[in-house]
Amino acid sequence: MTRAWLIAAGFASVAVALAAALHRSRRSDRRARARLSATAAELERLSHAFARFAPMELVERVIASGVPTSGERKEVTVLFADLFGFTPLSESVDPSVLVRILNGYFERMARAITAHHGHISTLIGDGILALFGALEANPWQTDDALRSALAMRAELASYNVELAAARLPTLRLGVGLHRGSGIAGLVGSPELMQFTVVGTVVNVAARVQALTREHDVDILVTPAVQRALDPRFALRALPARELKGISEPVATFAVLPQAAGLD
Amino acid sequence: MMLHDVEWDACVLEPRHDRELESYVRRELGSVPSAVPYFTASPWLVRSMASLSYYGAPLVYIDYPLADLVGLVVSQDNSCRYCYGVQRTVMRVHGLPEARIRQIEQNFLEAEIDPRTRLALDFARRISRAAPLVTANDADALRAAGWETQAIKELAYQSAYNVFMNRLMTTAAIPIASVERVAEHWALGWLAPVVRLLMRRRWRRGAAAALSPEQRGGPWSYLVCALDGLTAARALRTAIDQMWESPLLSQRAKALVFAVVARGLDSSVGEREAKCLLEATGLSASEIEPILTHLGSPALDPVEAAIVPFARGTIRGRPAQLQQRTRALLERLRPEQIVETVGVCALANALCRLDVVTQLE
Repeated sequence: MTRAWLIAAGFASVAVALAAALHRSRRSDRRARARLSATAAELERLSHAFARFAPMELVERVIASGVPTSGERKEVTVLFADLFGFTPLSESVDPSVLVRILNGYFERMARAITAHHGHISTLIGDGILALFGALEANPWQTDDALRSALAMRAELASYNVELAAARLPTLRLGVGLHRGSGIAGLVGSPELMQFTVVGTVVNVAARVQALTREHDVDILVTPAVQRALDPRFALRALPARELKGISEPVATFAVLPQAAGLD
Repeated sequence: MMLHDVEWDACVLEPRHDRELESYVRRELGSVPSAVPYFTASPWLVRSMASLSYYGAPLVYIDYPLADLVGLVVSQDNSCRYCYGVQRTVMRVHGLPEARIRQIEQNFLEAEIDPRTRLALDFARRISRAAPLVTANDADALRAAGWETQAIKELAYQSAYNVFMNRLMTTAAIPIASVERVAEHWALGWLAPVVRLLMRRRWRRGAAAALSPEQRGGPWSYLVCALDGLTAARALRTAIDQMWESPLLSQRAKALVFAVVARGLDSSVGEREAKCLLEATGLSASEIEPILTHLGSPALDPVEAAIVPFARGTIRGRPAQLQQRTRALLERLRPEQIVETVGVCALANALCRLDVVTQLE
């Protein structure tokens, strides 16, 4: 009788142990599934976040098979923007104030660029490199880029009112626009990759931006931009200048205040 | 993308009930979606929402569950919270486990989907993205997997129909609270078998019937004829004709919308058709080109001057951006004109993505 009880108790103990092990295994399985699900959700969220900075197809290719090494030649319009006198400003105000001023500036400029179908490729110090027609083919890229520059002008004017009211130094902007062919793709080191365009088109936009100081204007466009623009935009031709790294002197056009409805 | 992550603005349209239109929708769909009252100012639009769906134009070549999956992935890709919520509810009703829906939502690339279906869904997504526009070459992989030409056309049409619905709901920022509540409701699982029974009674196999000679003419006939043999061809013919005859916007304004969307998507056949229609309304080729090149011209009237850049903004973009542009229309158009503009833009976005069906033999 005692032996039978002992056997029964033994079976019961084994059954309890097995049930406990099964319960633990199920709980661990549930946790693993939850973690997997959370990771997948995060991956999906990230891929859509990245799609704002690179074409969705490219983002999916990166997720599926790693970073592609090939680029694609594309017709793009490049907007290069920089602040005048930023270095003296950075030395004259408190770092926390400077960061606040800069963040306010970038927020407004980003709004002006994305509202007109552009995307910011890179921030270089206080400089902005924005691309139009790089993520998707865009037949209206040059008009978009100029409207974006005009919106940046308007945003900065209203931001300067706020800065002046807070007794902070105001900002002055120079914008250069150029249109041409460039190589679009993921560029960088394995640690830091970005979707951007490389080529002369970017260099010319940057050099033309630098010319805004010499001509004392805020927005300058190249003849390639001027030819593609809506002729209703008011421009003023300026004399050609030598640009570093460009063989021929480059003529530019200053962008005047526009008639209502064009911006 | 997860449902709740998508920014969604407040709706700019006022709902207005119309008993006749709602009865029509109830007859076609079995119920009246919460979005319907927002569009009743434009009767063709409400009728098209129902008649272009697979209830109004029954499927002939592909399965209903696949059409639902197309709806889910396309709506998700377009970040349309309204359609995405509806589609999730539908899939839960049809018995797809929540975990599987979540798997498809979270990572379509890794989800356990059979290769043939995955190819079909990928094709549908590419039609919706149109970056670049899908061509006959993109259908080669589907053919190799055994998909017939007519089935590929029906698949393309289902993707385009979802683009139409996504653009409608997103651009108008139709309220999503009720739809999302239903999609997440605990009782849905209990009610699903009954609702499923009711819904599946409406799943009937369509008959492949050819278009009549009268249905082969009219605006966008090249596209309607390319879909000949699908029930969708007849539904599309009716929807286009009703849209074209609707008095809320001029035919010139509507053709301009189509021309702009076709230009933005690089749809050469769509642009050619829209230009022919524009020339028929009295605009010369030399007047049309500057409008399409710069999205503006002194030749445009004030309504057209508002609609042309708006149409361009509906081609791509995040919901919040589209919805802000719709809000900006309030200052320039009457409410019923806004509804009509949203509808014409949605239809143009759907039709101009369908070039591929004209290339398949």
